[in-house]
Amino acid sequence: MSKAAVDLPPKGGFSFDLCKRNDMLAKKGLTGPSFRKTGTTIVGLIFQDGVILGADTRATEGPIVCDKNCEKIHYMAPNIYCCGAGTAADTEAVTDMVSSQLQLHRYHTGRESRVITALTLLKKHLFSYQGYVSAALVLGGVDCTGPHLHTIYPHGSTDTLPFATMGSGSLAAMAMFESKYKEGLSRDEGIQLVVEAICSGIFNDLGSGSNVDVCVITKGHKEYLRNHLLPNPRTYINEKGYSFPKKTEVLMTKITPLKERVEIIETGDAMEE
Amino acid sequence: MGDSQYSFSLTTFSPSGKLVQIEHALTAVGSGQTSLGIKASNGVVIATEKKLPSILVDESSVQKIQCLTPNIGVVYSGMGPDFRVLVRKSRKQAEQYHRLYKEPIPVTQLVRETAAVMQEFTQSGGVRPFGVSLLVAGYDDNGPQLYQVDPSGSYFSWKASAMGKNVSNAKTFLEKRYTDDMELDDAVHTAILTLKEGFEGQISGKNIEIGIIGSDKKFRVLTPAEIDDYLAEVE
Repeated sequence: MSKAAVDLPPKGGFSFDLCKRNDMLAKKGLTGPSFRKTGTTIVGLIFQDGVILGADTRATEGPIVCDKNCEKIHYMAPNIYCCGAGTAADTEAVTDMVSSQLQLHRYHTGRESRVITALTLLKKHLFSYQGYVSAALVLGGVDCTGPHLHTIYPHGSTDTLPFATMGSGSLAAMAMFESKYKEGLSRDEGIQLVVEAICSGIFNDLGSGSNVDVCVITKGHKEYLRNHLLPNPRTYINEKGYSFPKKTEVLMTKITPLKERVEIIETGDAMEE
Repeated sequence: MGDSQYSFSLTTFSPSGKLVQIEHALTAVGSGQTSLGIKASNGVVIATEKKLPSILVDESSVQKIQCLTPNIGVVYSGMGPDFRVLVRKSRKQAEQYHRLYKEPIPVTQLVRETAAVMQEFTQSGGVRPFGVSLLVAGYDDNGPQLYQVDPSGSYFSWKASAMGKNVSNAKTFLEKRYTDDMELDDAVHTAILTLKEGFEGQISGKNIEIGIIGSDKKFRVLTPAEIDDYLAEVE
C-alpha cells in the first residue's frame, strides 16, 4: 500500500529467464563475457586482543589485472569488517547490503552489532541464491561476546576458525599460518604473520598481487591499515621522461568559410490556432 | 455542525473544504505532551516533557527523542505508537537513500519522504492519519535545520516551534526570546525555560528529555545528569 520512495529491485531469488538462451548460444560456440574477479588472497586470524584481517589488492579480469590497488576489506559495522574473494561486484554488493541491514538493526536495538548477526544475514542471502552470488568471505570482528572469525562460502556454508584463508592464494597463505600460528599472539606478531601469509599469496599465486591491506579490530577500537606494505613498487621508470617526435608536418594552411546554403522562403498559411 | 456528517470517512471532503479526520488528528496532537525545538546559529536543540503515567514506570526505558541518522534527530507530540512506526519507516528510507547515492540523506529529503508517508495515510482506504506531529532537527551541508511535520503531511521549516498542550504559551515565549544569533547553549537554556513555563510539578533531568546537534553533526540525547547541570545554570 505504501510504496517506497526509492524503487527497490524485485524481491525473490535468481531470475532464470535467460538461461535457455545462454545454453543455446553456448552450443553455437559463443563464449560469454568474462567478469571482474578478485583472484585474491584473503586471511584472518584471532590474536590475544581481537581479530586481524588481511588482503592483497589485485583485481583480475581473466588474464588481465584490471585494478592494481583495489580494496578488498569491506566495512560492515564499526566493530566488524569483511574480506571478500570471488566476483568483485558480488562481494561489494552483498557486504554493502548487509552493512545497511546491520545499521538499521543497531538503530532498532540501540546495541552494538554482533559478528554472528552479520554471519547469519550473509549466509541466508548467499544460500537463497544457491551459489550464483559468487562471494567467498572472511568475516571478523569483536563484539560483547568476544572476538570472532568466520569464513563464508558462496553456497552459504560457514566455518568458525581461529585462523582462516580464502581465495586463489588461500593454499599459499594457509601454509604460512599452519606452520607459524599459535594462540595468544601479540598485535605485532599477529600483523607480521598476516603480512607474511598475504605476501606468500602475492608472490606465489598469479591471481593475487600488488599491496597488502591489514585491518586490526580490538574491543572498542579498529585500525584500517590501507597499503600497510607495498612489496611491488614500480621500478625502471625513465627519469628523463618520454618525448615523441612529431608525426606529420604542416606544410600549408587554407581556411574557406562556408556560405549559407539554405534559403528560407516564407509561403503558405500561418498555422491555425 | 454540518461537518459531522462528513467526519466518518477520511477520504471525503466536508462542504467547508476540510478533511475532518485530519482536524481530529491535530486535536490528538494538541492534547499530547509539550515538545519544542529551537534552531541556533551553530546547531539545533529539541526538547520534550517526559511525564509518565505512574511513578512505577521505569523512566530510563522510555526514550521519546530518537535519532534517524547520525546527524538527524526527531521528537513528537501525540500518540507514541504512531511515532514509533514513523521512526522505523524514516530510518529505513534514510538507509535506502544512503545505499543508492552513497551520501548521508539531506534533512529536507528525509522530511519530504516522511511527510509523503504521512500524506499517504490521509488518502488511502481503510487507514487513519498518524496522530503525531514531528519536529525534525538536523545538521547537514546546508547548516542547522528544524522542520515540523503535521498529520496532514505538510511541513515547514522553523526557527523555533512548539507543539502539544502548551503550544500557544510556549510559542509566545519563544517569539519573545528568540534571536537569530543565538548559540547552542543559549538555545538549550531557552528551551528549558520554555518547558518550565507550563510545567506542572518539579522540573528535573528525569522528567524532560533534550536532544542537541552541533557543528560536529552528531545528534545525541543529553543524559539526565547533563540536563540537571543545565537546569542548575538556569536557576
